Amino acid sequence: MISRLREKGAGDLLKCIQCGSCTSSCIVNTVYESFNPRRIIGSIVRFNKLPEQDPWLCSSCSKCVERCPQRVNPMSIIMALRMINYEDGNAFPSRVVEFVEQIKKSGLIFPLSKESNEKRRLLGLSELKIDEEGLNEVRKILSEAGF
Amino acid sequence: MSMSIYLGCIVRTLYPEVEKAVNEVLNRIGVSFEEPKGASCCAPLGLFSLSKDAWLRINERNMRLFQSNVLTACDNCFASLSDAFRIISEKNGVKVPEVKPFGKFMLEVLGEKEHGLSFKGLRCAVQHSCHLLRPNRDIDNAEDPRIVKSVLGRLGYFSIPYEGELDCCGGLLFEETISKMIVRRKTDELEKSGADCVVTTCSHCMHQLRRVSRLPVLHLAQLSALSMGANPREIGIPDTLLRRIVNL
Repeated sequence: MISRLREKGAGDLLKCIQCGSCTSSCIVNTVYESFNPRRIIGSIVRFNKLPEQDPWLCSSCSKCVERCPQRVNPMSIIMALRMINYEDGNAFPSRVVEFVEQIKKSGLIFPLSKESNEKRRLLGLSELKIDEEGLNEVRKILSEAGF
Repeated sequence: MSMSIYLGCIVRTLYPEVEKAVNEVLNRIGVSFEEPKGASCCAPLGLFSLSKDAWLRINERNMRLFQSNVLTACDNCFASLSDAFRIISEKNGVKVPEVKPFGKFMLEVLGEKEHGLSFKGLRCAVQHSCHLLRPNRDIDNAEDPRIVKSVLGRLGYFSIPYEGELDCCGGLLFEETISKMIVRRKTDELEKSGADCVVTTCSHCMHQLRRVSRLPVLHLAQLSALSMGANPREIGIPDTLLRRIVNL
């Protein structure tokens, strides 16, 4: 499992000394104690077991990366777990699917509302539209990645 | 000077007043700019943690559209583009455009010459964006960020300290309950600070904080444009704030 995580960019996770700097700097842990980066890494490096905690609860603030005294990159381990979860067919947040679908439609993660479009016109801003050829390039990249 | 601008999906689709403010600033300091029409979402890593390859290819495509160095109006886009360009450069040995976040750009611009700015006196609490500071890309001090505060000072505003300045706003969390708990915690501190408004250089933070904040949440581009004499209504400065400004 460790080599599989490394392939996905988890770095040198065996340097972890389980000091807990990641957890004490984690904003998600502050409001929801069950999400605990130290335990996530502990599950892997001590018990060789995929953690039960949901990697999608990470806010990606990267404070754990900045504060780890061992230069382990806890966030990249969590990101690697997301990829493994995805490959293994586990569920991921519906908002991710919505964003990807929207990128396929317009190239951007949010649709342009009528109000926004009107406001753009009144402010003299240029029309917001990606040409069909460009959009098809983006769609091709996404579909080749399995989306 | 000529630049490519990359405003990001949030500004382009939801906050045209911020786009207007960026345009106003660039016009007033005499920087010519173009925004590539075909540029797509930069697919920030939080979202594209499912496929690093797709994220890289999407930004390789964006990169081809830029004619010059890139100015971003969203720190999350800054992180996504600059990280992707660095990987592309290391992999292919090609020269890649420099990506500059709005705060750093302003700091350099304001250091060069006088821009006829007048004291505005607004008290601003800065929402430091995680992806500008961390992981450290040598843009600002990750534990004591100074860029946005320095720019505000030069533009004629005060910056007000508050508890938990370095805390994330939860804007990139996909779990709604926890995201709301984090942003409420953040806005409670911002509201206690005594500031007139919140200022950020990240459109994700701006979008997230505006969901619950009782204080106006502005992009640094809006206050920059205001200082440089842009029409406050066109750049989205709320009336409640205008009444507090000295030397309007």
